[in-house]
Amino acid sequence: MKPEKNDKALIQVKGLRKRFGEIEVLKGIDLEVRPSEVLCIIGPSGSGKSTLLRSIAFLEAYDAGDVVFDGKLVGYRDDAGRRRLASEKELNQDRSGFGMVFQHFHLWPHLRVLANVTEALRVVKKIGSAEADRIGAEMLGKVGIAAFADKYPEQLSGGQKQRVAIARALAMKPRVMLFDEPTSALDPELVGEVLGVMKQLAQEGMTMLVVTHEMGFAAHVADTVVFMDGGKIIEKGDPGKLFAAPESDRLKQFLNTWRERSI
Amino acid sequence: MTTLDFIATYGPLLLSGLFATLRICFFASLIAIPLGLVVALLLRSRRAALRWIARAYVEVMRGTPILVVLFLLYYGGPSFGLVLEAEPVGILGLGLYGAGYFAEILRAGLQSIAQGQIEAARMLGIPAAHILWRIQLPQMLRLVVPPSINQIIVLIKESAALSIITVPELTKIGAQIANETFAVIQPYLAVALLYWLLIEILAALGHWLERKVRHA
Repeated sequence: MKPEKNDKALIQVKGLRKRFGEIEVLKGIDLEVRPSEVLCIIGPSGSGKSTLLRSIAFLEAYDAGDVVFDGKLVGYRDDAGRRRLASEKELNQDRSGFGMVFQHFHLWPHLRVLANVTEALRVVKKIGSAEADRIGAEMLGKVGIAAFADKYPEQLSGGQKQRVAIARALAMKPRVMLFDEPTSALDPELVGEVLGVMKQLAQEGMTMLVVTHEMGFAAHVADTVVFMDGGKIIEKGDPGKLFAAPESDRLKQFLNTWRERSI
Repeated sequence: MTTLDFIATYGPLLLSGLFATLRICFFASLIAIPLGLVVALLLRSRRAALRWIARAYVEVMRGTPILVVLFLLYYGGPSFGLVLEAEPVGILGLGLYGAGYFAEILRAGLQSIAQGQIEAARMLGIPAAHILWRIQLPQMLRLVVPPSINQIIVLIKESAALSIITVPELTKIGAQIANETFAVIQPYLAVALLYWLLIEILAALGHWLERKVRHA
């Protein structure tokens, strides 16, 4: 069973704003993620949900507001009241609790599957090759692809690649997993294997922040679902309630469109 | 003078010129490629000022004849406290000049790698220098080897300009022999043949390297 959720937030997002040139993509986001919580972010394309996730990971430098992970500000430092960008080293420290999975996997094609998983163990954690390989094999086993350790990414299907990407992130023992549309680039028949691995992670108590179009996953696995549109959080709550009785017109419309499409 | 006599008399001298050219281009490449990589990285910097400086460097080097670069360094250098023998100046000039071209080749190589691969590495905490060495450079090789070989060939030919600042490289030796013998055809034909030989060997090496990185 799932461990009890602690009330103290692991991630706190406060008044987050991000602008790309003329367009304000995030217009003041407030969000909390508690340990072991699975939070799914849904919403139409261009609603800012991927930008929110990337801002939390500091792959985008947010313009205003705070992202606080385990009590510490992510990506910036306060020097005598003035905010400055964190150095590369500081940023690596800030991100060390995050594991990230991308829509397009982003495996390193010139390295074998096992090397993809063990590279950071050796370079960042300075773990010896033999021990790194053992951890790598264990992680590949966990996502069900131990047999592919010696293959190159191009020899794998999309679903297998995404599972390697998950193993690569898990090997670093993150405290939160961030998923950015992890199944959107997959053939429909390969979606299930990736969602299966994610569901298993959720059951083990991993804290997860998932940007997704998979309503079924959000409905059955998430503890909390957030609906975004136009750079704002429109509605947030328990998936049962949110899907069965949406309050806002925008969410009703979004869910109707989705139901019509999935017939 | 028969061809055999010519080879017997001037062969060693010509060979010394060939080796000088080879040495100069080798060291010039040792400057041009690493410096080109630095400039390529600056061209992609997050800071606009650094990008601007790198862009200015590339444009100046591409827009200036090598001979002008050499004159500036050799005759203008002393007023900036740069007093060097002709050959080191030639190597430096050729290296600085080549870096402008290598910067563009390597920039294209860096650009060819999906940004997401770098983001994935960053999220794992892998330092930027290691990302460059282990993730970007190995994947770039395939793309940058052919134009780089081509660029080195261009450098070899441009190195003939060093004869003007008195460096005893192949072209200079050819001119010297022509002066001594009052013959034009034989010495310059020999010089041309040696350049051609050098470049063919390099091109063959390039093809071999290209095949090697394709299978890597």
